[in-house]
Amino acid sequence: MEELILELKKEIIDVLNLEGMTPADIDENAPLFGEGLGLDSIDALELIVLMEKNYGIKLANANEGKEIFKSVRVMAEYIKEHRTK
Amino acid sequence: MDNIVITGTGIISSLGAGKEETLKRLRSGQKVIGPIQHIRTKHSYLPAGEVEYSDEQLKELIQYHDDKGIITRTSLLARVALKEALEEARLNGTSGQRIVLISGNTVGGMEKSEQYYHDFLNNNSRNEYIAMHDCGACTDVIAKEFDGHFSLITTISTACSSAANAIILGANILKEDRADIVVVGGTECISKFHLNGFNTLMILDKEPCRPFDAERHGLNLGEGAAYLVMEKEGTARRRNVQPVCKLSGYGNACDAFHQTATSPNGQGAFLAMSKALESSGLKPEDIDYINAHGTGTGNNDECEGIAMMRVFGDKMPPVSSTKSYTGHTTSAAGGVESVISILALTHRFIPANLGYQTPIEGHNFKPVDHVIENVSLKHILTNSFGFGGNDSSCIFSVIETESPNNPDNRKVQPCYIQSAAHISIQQPITDDWFLKPILPAQAYNESLEPDYSKYFSPMAARRMGRLLKRSVATAVEALGQNEVPDAIITGTGLGCIANTEKFLSAMIDNDEDFLQPTYFMQSTHNTISSQVAQHLKCHGYNCTYSHRGTSFDSSLFDAFLQMHSGDIRSALVGGHDEMTPNYFKMLGKIGYWKDGDISPDTLKKADSQGALSGSCSLNMLLTDHANPDTLCKIEGMEMLYEPTIHDLKAAACRMLQQAGLTVQDLDAVVSGLSGDRDNDAVYNSFTEQLCPEKPVIWYKHIFGESFCASAFGVYAGALCLRHNTIPAHLLYHTSGDISGVKHILVHNHFHNKDHSLILISSCSY
Repeated sequence: MEELILELKKEIIDVLNLEGMTPADIDENAPLFGEGLGLDSIDALELIVLMEKNYGIKLANANEGKEIFKSVRVMAEYIKEHRTK
Repeated sequence: MDNIVITGTGIISSLGAGKEETLKRLRSGQKVIGPIQHIRTKHSYLPAGEVEYSDEQLKELIQYHDDKGIITRTSLLARVALKEALEEARLNGTSGQRIVLISGNTVGGMEKSEQYYHDFLNNNSRNEYIAMHDCGACTDVIAKEFDGHFSLITTISTACSSAANAIILGANILKEDRADIVVVGGTECISKFHLNGFNTLMILDKEPCRPFDAERHGLNLGEGAAYLVMEKEGTARRRNVQPVCKLSGYGNACDAFHQTATSPNGQGAFLAMSKALESSGLKPEDIDYINAHGTGTGNNDECEGIAMMRVFGDKMPPVSSTKSYTGHTTSAAGGVESVISILALTHRFIPANLGYQTPIEGHNFKPVDHVIENVSLKHILTNSFGFGGNDSSCIFSVIETESPNNPDNRKVQPCYIQSAAHISIQQPITDDWFLKPILPAQAYNESLEPDYSKYFSPMAARRMGRLLKRSVATAVEALGQNEVPDAIITGTGLGCIANTEKFLSAMIDNDEDFLQPTYFMQSTHNTISSQVAQHLKCHGYNCTYSHRGTSFDSSLFDAFLQMHSGDIRSALVGGHDEMTPNYFKMLGKIGYWKDGDISPDTLKKADSQGALSGSCSLNMLLTDHANPDTLCKIEGMEMLYEPTIHDLKAAACRMLQQAGLTVQDLDAVVSGLSGDRDNDAVYNSFTEQLCPEKPVIWYKHIFGESFCASAFGVYAGALCLRHNTIPAHLLYHTSGDISGVKHILVHNHFHNKDHSLILISSCSY
C-alpha cells in the first residue's frame, strides 16, 4: 500500500503539473480538495483520466470522484481494490 | 441615439435551414436531437444537434462550386445563414454603404485539421488546409458570400458567447458611426476535437439534454450558424427596408472566477443581464421571455438560475432553453438563439424547454415545458455564456415599443496608451530592445521568459501553459499600480497553440482515449483574456479577437470605440501568440518563413517570400487621462477590408484631418515590413502614395512575424513618441537617429486583406 501511495503521489504531481512539489509535501491523509492540497473540479477530471490510463478504472460520472479523491490514501485503497491493470 | 434595428436574419441548425423550417419544427415541439452522423468518432453514441445537410448538400443550397476554392463546414454553415440574412435585408451589390461583417467562431478549420494533422506535418498532400485552420480564415471565406464589399471584417472568439459579442461589437460600431450596416453572428460545426474536449469535462449527456431539470446530465453539442443585419432606424428607412425588431440593450461582463466553472452566485451572468437591462432603460418586469443559456450542465443551469433570480426576484418571466432543440451550438449559440428569440417575438410564441420534469432545488421558477402560442411579447432577453466566464446578454424588442431611456451619451473621450509590457524574443518586460535590440540569428525564435514566481504561485500556475503565463505577467506589469481596468480585450490569432497541439495529437494517437481536459480548456482562444480577468479579478467587459494578422488591431479598435464613447475609462488591450516547432513547420510549408541569412540588411534586400518568426505577448493599458508617464495618445484608428491603396490613403487623410493634422505633420510611418516580398510591396506602395519622403519605422526584424506582431508596431511607435526620438535601428531607410517626433501613423495589414491604421501622437506636443 505504501508503495502505491508513493507511486500515486508522483503521478499526481506529474499529471497536475505541481511544479516544485515532492511526494513528501503531500500528506496522504489530508484532503486533496478544498482545505488540503487545494485542488478543484478540473484537477478531479485529470485524476479520473489518470485512474483510467494507469489503472484501467473508468468512472461513469465526475461525482463518483468526490468519495474516491478524499485523500491519497483513500484513492490508493480504491485503486488497489478496483484496478484492472 | 437612433434605434438599432434588425432588418434581416438567417439561421441554420438542427432545426433546419432557414427561418421557415426552424419555425415549423420549433413550434411543433418535436425533438430534433439525434445520433452523430457527420463525423467519425468512437463517441457516436452521444446525441447531438447536427445540421441534417451534408457538406455537399450545403454547397448546393448556396450554389457553391468547388472552383471557388476549398471551404470548411464552419464556413459553409455560415454562408447558408448569411445568404438568408442578406436577402431579407435586401443587401446586394455595392450601394456606397459601409457594411461590416463580425463573425464569431472558435473551431475554425479544426474539422479538417484533425483529419489532416499528420499530413500537415509529414507530407505535402493537404497543405491548402493549413491556412484554413484559424478562425479568421473562416470569416474571410464567409465574407465572399456577399456580392458586395464588406468595408471591415473581424472574428470574435469568446467560445460559447462569440456570436452574442459580435452583436455587441456591431452595436458599438453603429453607435460610433463606423459603419452604416453591420452583419453579425456566429458559426460552428461539430468537430471531433471539441466533442472530445467537452467529453473530457464529463459534461455531455448520453440522452437528449434536459436544461433546468434536477436530473440533468450535461449538454449535447450542436452545430449551426446565424447572422443578423443591424443598422440604425434612419438607415433602414432611407433604404426603404422594413425593420423586423430592434436591439434595445446589451451587456458583457466577466465572471472572473474559474476557467470552466461558473461562480456559485452567477456573478458574471448577473452583471451581463443587469448591464443589458440598464442599457435598454427597461425594468426587469418589462422582460416577457428569457431565452436562457441553459446548457443542461449541472453547474451552468444552477448558477444561471440563481443569477436570474437575483435580477428578476419573484417576478421571473417565462424561461426556456432552446438548446433542448439545437444542442449547444457553441460559437453560433448567441446568433442561433437571438434569431430564435426574434422569431418568437415576431410570431408571438414562447418556445418550449424540452425534457424538463423536476425543478432544481433552490430555484423559484420552472421553465416553460411546452410551446405557448398567441402571447404578447414586447421584450426578450437572451443569454450567452462562455468558458472563462465570458458572459453576454442581449435584449430584442418589437419596433412599436417606446425606448424609455436611449440618451445620446456620446462624450468623445480621449484615449491614451499609459503603459505597455511584453514578453517576446527580446529581453522580457523591459524596454531594452528600444536602444539595444537582440538581432535574431535564425528564422525560428523562442520567447525569452522572465522569472514567473513573482507573478503567481506554482499552484496557480499548474494549469497555465506558457502563453497564459506570459499574458498574465504582461498584464500585471502593464497595469502597474493602476486600478483594475474597465475592460480586458485580447487578440490572439491561434490561442494557446502548444496545448491545442497536445490535445489534438493525443486525440489522434490514442484513438480518442485518455485525453486531458487541461489542454482542451486552453485551446479556446478566450482562455487568455479570461485568465487575465481571473487574476486581476476584473468583472468588466471582456472580449477576444482571433482574426489572423489583425487580431490585436481588432482588440484595440474595440477598446478605442468604447473609450471614445465614454462607455469605459480604461482598458487592458493585449496581443498574444506563441510559436511551436510543429506550427512553424506547417506555416513554413506555405511560405511564411525565410531560409538562411535573416540579418536586417538581408531582409531589406530580399526578393523572396517569408519572414522570420517571432512570438508575441504584449499588454497595454489604455486610459482616458494622461500623466507624466503616459506613452502617447491614440488620435484615431481605422480598419479596412481589402481596400485599394486609394481607400487606404483616403482613410489616413480622413483620420489626420479629424485630429486637426495633415500628412505634412506626420513624423514617421510604422510599417510591418518583414522581408516578405508580397507583403512588403503593399506596405511600400502605401507609404509611397501617402508620404514618400517620411521616415519609415520597422520592427519585425527584431520581433519577428506573428499574428499579433502589429502590437509591437504600436509599441515601437509609442516609445518613439515617449522618448521623442527614433533610434537608427528602427529606421528602414535612414541611417542615423531622428529626434523630434510628434505624430506617427502605424500601418498593418495581413496579406493585403485586412488593414489597420492607427494615428498616435506625443502627449507633450
